[in-house]
Formats: sequence, structure tokens, C-alpha cells
Amino acid sequence: MAQLSDITNAVIRTEIEEFIDDPAEIERNVELFAKASAQMQEIAAALLEGDNDTVDQLTRIALDEGIEALEIMDDGLIAGMGIVGIKFRDGFIFVPEVLVCARAMKAGMAHIEPILAASGAEPAGTVIMGTVKGDLHDIGKNLCIMMLRGGGFIVIDLGVDTSPEEFLEAVAEHDAHVIGMSALLTTTMPNMAKTVEAFKDAGLREKVRFMVGGAPVTPEFAEDVGADGYGKDAMAAVELATKLAIEVRA
Amino acid sequence: MTTEDIPRLSGEWMTPRRRFISALFGGRVDKIPAMTLSSVATLEGMEIADADFPEAHLDAEKMARLAATAHENLGLDTVMPVFHSQLEADALDADTWWGEKDNWPATKGHVLDDPDSFKIPPDYLERRSFKAVLGAIKLLRKRYPDVGIVGKVYGPWSVGFHLVGIENWLMGTITEPDKIRRYLEVLLPASMMSAHAQFEAGADAVMWADHANRELCSPETYRDFLLEMHQGVTEEMGGPSILHCCGETTDRIDYFAEAGWDCFHFESQVDPVKAKEIVRDRMSLFGNINNPTILFSGTYDDTYKACMEVLEAGIQGVAPEGSVPLGVKMEVLQALSDSARDYSNANRPDGRLVTFNPTK
Ligand code: B1M
Repeated sequence: MAQLSDITNAVIRTEIEEFIDDPAEIERNVELFAKASAQMQEIAAALLEGDNDTVDQLTRIALDEGIEALEIMDDGLIAGMGIVGIKFRDGFIFVPEVLVCARAMKAGMAHIEPILAASGAEPAGTVIMGTVKGDLHDIGKNLCIMMLRGGGFIVIDLGVDTSPEEFLEAVAEHDAHVIGMSALLTTTMPNMAKTVEAFKDAGLREKVRFMVGGAPVTPEFAEDVGADGYGKDAMAAVELATKLAIEVRA
Repeated sequence: MTTEDIPRLSGEWMTPRRRFISALFGGRVDKIPAMTLSSVATLEGMEIADADFPEAHLDAEKMARLAATAHENLGLDTVMPVFHSQLEADALDADTWWGEKDNWPATKGHVLDDPDSFKIPPDYLERRSFKAVLGAIKLLRKRYPDVGIVGKVYGPWSVGFHLVGIENWLMGTITEPDKIRRYLEVLLPASMMSAHAQFEAGADAVMWADHANRELCSPETYRDFLLEMHQGVTEEMGGPSILHCCGETTDRIDYFAEAGWDCFHFESQVDPVKAKEIVRDRMSLFGNINNPTILFSGTYDDTYKACMEVLEAGIQGVAPEGSVPLGVKMEVLQALSDSARDYSNANRPDGRLVTFNPTK
């Protein structure tokens, strides 16, 4: 079993020590970073500091040195974003800090994405995300998207005020099988059910999996509207999408 | 006539307006007020008033009629005509979608990326959103001289969300703090003008919304960006002030009290007993009946019970935590005034003034 001292980067060590409480999460992160190269740890540390210029620069250097795009994504960017998610979930950081870290992640991914796309590497899955019809709240949805991208998913963001038809069209266009719907208003929550119904009417219900979330949404409500899962927060959304993507592929 | 001959005041002897204002300053009341501070417009209310969304947002008469249902049909001590959050933003050229009968308006696109290019239009207070709101306040004042009228202003922080985009704004607090401060500086006069105009039209108090809650930012962000500005606002607003900040705010209520607000309208995530402990008598507390679980999904009895719990905490007035979902039933909302009446009757030992719960 790896030890905290096996991680060479001091910033990463401090982040794990100070901000992660759950023993299983500590173990997972220590394992992950202990096996990552010092260079990858440095990318993750820059991401955690929200330093997009450094992430951009270090990613370019790493690629120039011949390091695999997939390694940079997994051991640098996704690993760093994992800690960001934990810190946000546990209330150590707030939305602005997450946005800044996500911007740094994006700076790195700008170099990685074209390479991965050209190589035909399999993403964790493709997720269609949107805030439902009539609802213009999107901060929560956007945080989920950042974490999903940070978790290796391709995410098609339909934005806010998304009609059932727009979800249907997006699924056809992107050949995606996981759909995420967010709602913050009690008045718009019923539109989740309408979207699920529209997929039934189109004969596509069995081909896709629905996940739902947003402050007023509950697991019971998710069940009532016929969704396949409920995500309490952005971290949970990634776990759920992973499960649903596997399920739908099977 | 001797002193003994003078009839004694007992029961409910204050007008709703007087009761509301007194409670707002933490004063004596004959009954604890039950209020609307954001919107209690509902689909049912729209039928009663024959005033539907979205027309009621831009038509003073319809707006006034719909707002009046709060008092006429729910027995609340206040009325509040600004059902949406677009008043200032729309008059500042935001791209407003006025919504539908069963949904609220919102801003669709963002129009500002440089604080120094921002100007308040010369006809700002004459624009459609203000015409309707100021007109409705005047009508309400005329029709309800004895009912409390609450105005609503979005402060520069929340107007900034609309004009600049909420993510740009929140991220900017870290990446470009001086730019955000500059935005606050240039947007502040627009909010102040809105407050002054609403007071002039006849509002008794103005609720000032700046959403700096835990779901969006740290308490230090409030301290560093808004505290000093709010101290200026409360000094110069020109009338009784109520701060509204959504969500979980326990960790920053102390700062709100320091800002000098007369009252804080708080949400259900905040424990009223704890809030009371923090603010003591520095400002009043109005709130905090939960929207989705209690008012929307619950019954009259659930709401009555929730109101009693918050009244027991010793806060100065009961109200929904924010704009109530449009599908909430009037029958459920009725529990607000019923509970305030029953609680007051049980806590009026001298037949005259309500005794607040000693835990306060
Ligand atoms: C697919 O799988 C998944 C899985 C997990 C998912 C998921 C999907 N989606 C979210 N999650 C989860 O992960 C995220 C990260 O952990 C979490 O996401 P959340 O979205 O829950 O959390 C975010 C990170 C932070 N939270 C937020 O972003 C919401 C914060 C609050 C303050 C809020 C904000 C900021 C705004 N608002 Co609005 N707003 C409120 C909110 C009050 C509160 N207490 O929450 C709420 C939601 N608003 C409300 C209201 C009433 C309104 N708002 C309105 C407008 C606005 C602003 C424009 C000012 C702004 C939104 C800006 C934007 N671009 O999003 C209006 C509606 C406009 C419209 N048609 O949509 C208006 C109607 C106000 C008015 N009278 O006009 C209330 C809704 C009441 C109800 N339940 O029906 C409200 C609860 C406040 C209140 N108590 O009154 C999880 O839920």
C-alpha cells in the first residue's frame, strides 16, 4: 500500500492531508498520486491552485516530451479535479474556486482533446446535459459538467430551458445514451417527467438512461418521474453517470 | 372621565402596516406579522385577480391586483408586487424573457463585459419594468393605506449576475477582483435609484436582494466585496431595509447584522434559533417557511406546524423563505396568517402586546 510520503509533490500531500477525511478516499488518492510521475503531480497541483497558465504550459511541455495524452489527462488533470470535487462537496471551497480550477482543467484539456479524438480513444461515455424547460438556473448543472469532463466523459451541454425535443435531437445527433437533467424550480421539475415520456413515445426509452438532480429534486421524485438515478451533488453525478454508462452498454 | 373609564386596547388593534413596520424594527406588536416579502403570486391567485403571468409583470393594474391577493385572500400584513428578479436588469438592457403563465421571467443573455462601458440610461426609471412596478406600488398605496407595502431591489451583486453572467461574476471574484469591485461601484447607483423610487411611490420598506449565500460563495467573499458597500446602502437607502439572501447563510449572518440592515429575510436552510442567537437585537428576522417541501408538497397542517416552530424561535415575523412556487395552494398559504394569529393569542398575557418567546 502506498504512503502519503510516496507522493513527491508537497502541494498534493498537503491537499490530501488537510482536506480529505474519508479513509477510503484518502487511500484512493494516495494510491493514485503515488504512482503518478512528479510531472503529473505538478500538473494536478497547478490545477488545484487554479493556475491555468501553468497547467497550459506544463501540459504542452509534457506532450512535447512524448508523454501520452491519456496519462496527462488521467494522472494530472482528472486526478487534480477529483480533489477539487471532494473539497467542494465537503464545503472547503466554494463555487468560484471550483470555476477557477475548472478553467485550469480546460486549459490542459484544450491540448489533450484533439489528440484523444484523433486516436479514437474510448471516453468514459457521452452524456447529454441540460437544465429543463422553463428553468434558467445553470450553475449546478455546469459544475456537474465540469466534474463529468474531469471524470473523462464527453459532455454535450444543451444549456438551459431545454425542451424534451431538444434532448431527443441531441441523443440522435451524438449517439449518446446517458441523459442528465437539472431543475432548480418546483415549477419546472415536472418537465423531467415530460422528457422521459417523450423518449417513451419515441420508442427510445430503453436505449437511454436518465439521471436527474438539482436542489429540490429528491431520490423519490427521481423514481416518480421514471429516471434511472438521482445525483445529490456533482461528485455523485460522476459516479452515477459511470454506473449508468456501464449499464446501458451491457 | 377617569383612567379606569378609558377602554383598554386588546387583541388586534394595530393596522397591518403599523404591525409590519414595528416588527421590522423589533418593536412592540399586537400580533406577530405574517408576510410576503418576495412573491406569493400563485396560479390560483392569478385566477382570483384575473391577472396572469407574464402580463402581470408589465401591467401596473394587473400587478397590483395580483399582489393584493396576499392581503385580500391570505390575510397577510404585507403586499409585494415585484414577483420577478428583472426590475433593474431589464431597464439596464438585459435580454429578458418574460416567462409564461406558469413560469417566472429570467435573463437569457449577458450584455456587459466592461464596467467602464456601463451607463444608466437617462430614462431608466421610466422603462417598462419600472413603469409597472412603480405604478403598482402607487395603486396599492391608494387602495391599501393600512397594509404594509414591500418593494424589492436587486443589489449590484445580483444585478451583476444578470448583466455579466453569474459564472463570469463568481470566478471574477478570484481572477479579477478589482473588476468586480468596479462593477459593484458602477451598478450601485442603479439599485439605489430603484430603492428611492419605490419608497417615493409608497413602499414602506424595501427588500434588497444580493445573493451571496453559501451555495455561491464564502462568507469572506461577502465581507470583502459587500459588507462595506451594504453599510453605505443601509445608511442611504432612505427607508426601512430588509436584506434578502437565499440559501444557507448562518456563517455570514453576523456580517449582515454589521452591515446595518433593519431586518434579514432568511431561508429554511438557516436554523432560526441559531440565527436569533447570532443577531440578538441587532436586526429583526423574518422567514423562513420552506418552499418545495412544506408549501409546495406539504399540507395546511404541515405549514401551520412549520410556522409555529419558527415563531417559537422568537423571530419577529413569519413569511415564506422566498418566491413561492406558482403551484402552491392558497389554502396552504392561509396557514401563515392563521399560525401568527394563534401564536400571538397564546402569547398575549396582558391582552395587549405579544410576548416573544424568551429563548430569543
Ligand atoms: C443530471 O444529474 C444531476 C446531478 C446533480 C445535480 C444536477 C443534475 N443539477 C444539480 N445537481 C447537484 O450538483 C450541484 C453541485 O453540487 C448542485 O446544484 P445546485 O444548483 O443545487 O447548486 C448550485 C451549485 C448552487 N445553487 C444555485 O446556483 C442556486 C442558488 C439560488 C440562490 C438561485 C440563483 C443563483 C438564481 N436564481 Co433562483 N436561485 C435559487 C437558489 C437558492 C438556493 N438556496 O439554492 C432558487 C432555486 N431560485 C428560486 C426562484 C424562485 C427563482 N430564481 C430565479 C432566478 C435566479 C437568478 C437568475 C438570480 C440566479 C440563477 C443564475 C443561474 N445562471 O443559475 C427566478 C427564476 C428564473 C427561471 N425562470 O429560472 C426565481 C423564480 C426568482 C423570481 N422571483 O424571479 C427558488 C426556487 C423555489 C422553488 N423550489 O421553486 C430558490 C430555491 C430560491 C428561493 N428559496 O426562493 C446539486 O443540486
